[in-house]
Amino acid sequence: MVLRLAAIPPLVSTVVALGVLLGSSGDAPSLDVSWVPGLDLEFVFQIDSLAALMTLLVSGIGVLVFVYANGYFGPTAAGTGRFATTLLAFSTAMLGLVWADSVWTLFVFWEATSITSFLLVGHKSVDAAARLAARRALLITAGGGLALLAGLLILADRAGTTRLDDMGPVGGTAGGVAAALVLVAAATKSAQFPFHVWLPGAMAAPTPVSAYLHSATMVKAGVLLVALLGPALGETDVWKPVGIGFGLLSAFWGAIGALRHTDAKLILAWGTVSQLGLMIVLLSAGSGKAVFAAVSLILAHAVFKAALFMVVGEIDVRAGTRDISALSGLGSRMPLAAMVAVVSGASMAGVPPLLGFTAKEAAIEAALKMDGLEALVVGFAVIGGSVLTVAYTVRLLLGLFGPSDQPATDIADRRPAMAFPSALLAVGSVLGYVFLGTVNSLVRPAAVQVQPEAEVYYLLRWPGITTAFLISVAIVVAGSTVGWLVFRRPLGVPSPVGAGVVDRGTDGVLSVARFVTGRVQHGSLPVYMAVMAMTVIVAALPFAFDVEPSAIYLWDSPMQGVLAVVVVGAAVLTSGMASSRLGAALGLGSVGVAVSGLFVVHGAPDLALTQLLVETVIVVGFVLGLGHLTRRFPSAKAGWRLLRLVVSVCVGGAVALALASSASNPSGVPPLEDLTVAAVDEGGGNNLVNVILTDVRALDTLGEVVVLAVAALGILALTESGRSRKEEVA
Amino acid sequence: MIRSTSPVAELGVRAATPPALMVGMFLFFAGHNRPGGGFAAGLIIGAVVALRWMVGLRTTVVPSQLMAAGIVIVAGVALAPVLFGSVVLDQAVWSTSLPVLGKVKAGSAAIFDIGVSAIVVGLVIAVIDGLSPATTSAPEGQSS
Repeated sequence: MVLRLAAIPPLVSTVVALGVLLGSSGDAPSLDVSWVPGLDLEFVFQIDSLAALMTLLVSGIGVLVFVYANGYFGPTAAGTGRFATTLLAFSTAMLGLVWADSVWTLFVFWEATSITSFLLVGHKSVDAAARLAARRALLITAGGGLALLAGLLILADRAGTTRLDDMGPVGGTAGGVAAALVLVAAATKSAQFPFHVWLPGAMAAPTPVSAYLHSATMVKAGVLLVALLGPALGETDVWKPVGIGFGLLSAFWGAIGALRHTDAKLILAWGTVSQLGLMIVLLSAGSGKAVFAAVSLILAHAVFKAALFMVVGEIDVRAGTRDISALSGLGSRMPLAAMVAVVSGASMAGVPPLLGFTAKEAAIEAALKMDGLEALVVGFAVIGGSVLTVAYTVRLLLGLFGPSDQPATDIADRRPAMAFPSALLAVGSVLGYVFLGTVNSLVRPAAVQVQPEAEVYYLLRWPGITTAFLISVAIVVAGSTVGWLVFRRPLGVPSPVGAGVVDRGTDGVLSVARFVTGRVQHGSLPVYMAVMAMTVIVAALPFAFDVEPSAIYLWDSPMQGVLAVVVVGAAVLTSGMASSRLGAALGLGSVGVAVSGLFVVHGAPDLALTQLLVETVIVVGFVLGLGHLTRRFPSAKAGWRLLRLVVSVCVGGAVALALASSASNPSGVPPLEDLTVAAVDEGGGNNLVNVILTDVRALDTLGEVVVLAVAALGILALTESGRSRKEEVA
Repeated sequence: MIRSTSPVAELGVRAATPPALMVGMFLFFAGHNRPGGGFAAGLIIGAVVALRWMVGLRTTVVPSQLMAAGIVIVAGVALAPVLFGSVVLDQAVWSTSLPVLGKVKAGSAAIFDIGVSAIVVGLVIAVIDGLSPATTSAPEGQSS
């Protein structure tokens, strides 16, 4: 129920996106919320063509994913409320990222997607593998987020603006550094080699999450970043080689991974690494046709990959496994799922008459239009990557639905809520081909926004017998052969080396932290106190040099002298003489009361009142706490007593020194006049202190009370844990 | 030792509670123009709770909830002006005439102060609850 309700918000934004995309070609809707104007911190959103296309994907597939999740979890599953909330939060973060038009807005939502994705990958929080995978995903993507922050800082500084819209090309060394940082960030998010290691582990997430985050949305964020910042950073020396390098390696390594695994979900995940690599190659190359092909691929990939994830999830739920070597005879038992998978797989392999075909055709033509080394490298990536894509697609489909010598797998009842969304997406792959004109009108403005030269290109329904088409035919033939061969003679499942390296690194950091914490936080209260006291003494020493003896006088009124004697006397009696703890606590309380008397004499009734009340409550706390301890202090050795005495006197002296120094060097006149006027006119009160607390410096108060509350929660947690431990013992 | 079972003490604390709370409320409202304010009021109310605790009069207030409410109030007052197109923590002052009290002036700072008081009271209860030997039994052989 809750999952069905959760489908409503994405449904609304889908309609809005369609309105923007198909509506009048007026100005893009935008929103501008200032946050800290002095620092140019603001939330700036703009739904331009690229953003609208991405919104359509994020929200449209979002609606289907919520419907699908309803079937996936079934009516009795626990935690669907949490799941729906987190998935909606992710969806919101993703929309914020897509709509962002300022580098800071972009960064905030970029990180928000990392955090929500962490929660979603770790949804089955009782599963240690899921927790580990979630941590790995968070560390890599949030680490990339730091690179992004650094890159954006440099970029905003060089470009002289934080608006993505107004950013001109940036060059030079600084531009190169920014380009490298941004590409690393994109590679972490889009799971590019060697940062791809988090994505296979993230398959521990429930399948609706994989269908959403790991096909259509979050992993596309890196690709989107390359598209958004291509205009600003594309002219640096670093951009093309690094971007194409990341993409090329991932296109091949991902496809090889997809050919080796037998877990259908992992095959799709590795395939995603490969496909995203292809998009990054094309976007980094940056020619009009290449950008156009990349944007078409973003659309086509989201549609077919989400459908494939959904089918695999349905098989997982109904057959109890998703390992292609264990499944058998599903082709006749799950005909609809088989049809959806074949259509979507064919779109992924680039077979007509499907949307994937036209996108791949555009990519091949883009490579053919380049010259020299670039044509060679991009052509190699596109053609080689495509051959392997066909191969793992053929292997996946044969493994899921093809012939097998094992007995047919038993399957559970149909789940319409799972079948319907994937079928709709498969139909989308067909309809995209049929209504290619509409797809063109979605893709072209988005591509033009990245690269104006893309204006002249369009997706072709039937290109004729061109070089590109012949290459396409060769790709399908070669890929099918490879796929068939690998299906007959499996390559063997690789061990997750990269993930192991990341985990060992994390564990290493944690054990160092445990070591340091164990040494520094040894738990001895006297040592903590001594360290704090020594710090105060050392910090106060520099003040000794600017004490002005002539500025020091005994007292304003003799009453202060009397109170001072009371304070010192009570303190001495307490620390030195009292043998019972209660006596010491009361003595300290009388010190506090006498200090509040000093405040009264000095004309600060507010301070005095607060001091008196605080002192009272502290004494009460003391008295309650003493109930846990012996009545009298344990006898201490004379040496320890002397040491404590020395430390106490030194701290007292240091504080007195610091005060004397500040009294000898007044730094200007206190702004009493201004504050009084401000308090009465704006704060509407005559008690200056309170107006400062609740109005003039209310932000400080806000921070302080929050600190107070957090400290109190810490106390609660400590005493609660002490109690439960006692109960365990008893 | 700490928790008195003396009926005299209990009666005394019961009798002292209303005037003490009055003092707390007085300090809360006096804070605008004279010494006092939300923090001081919170301490007084907290002290009343502590005193009642000592004679065995427990409160049913959950300190974490009280503090949470306080934070929500404080943050709400801080952010509310943004909804009306103003800056964070901007103060609004309303004044009106009431039949008995005459001209009454109230600012959003007063609501802010309520939040501060709630947090302080919650803190005091949390500390007392945590330290109170009535709930945490003392180590064996040491309590008296």
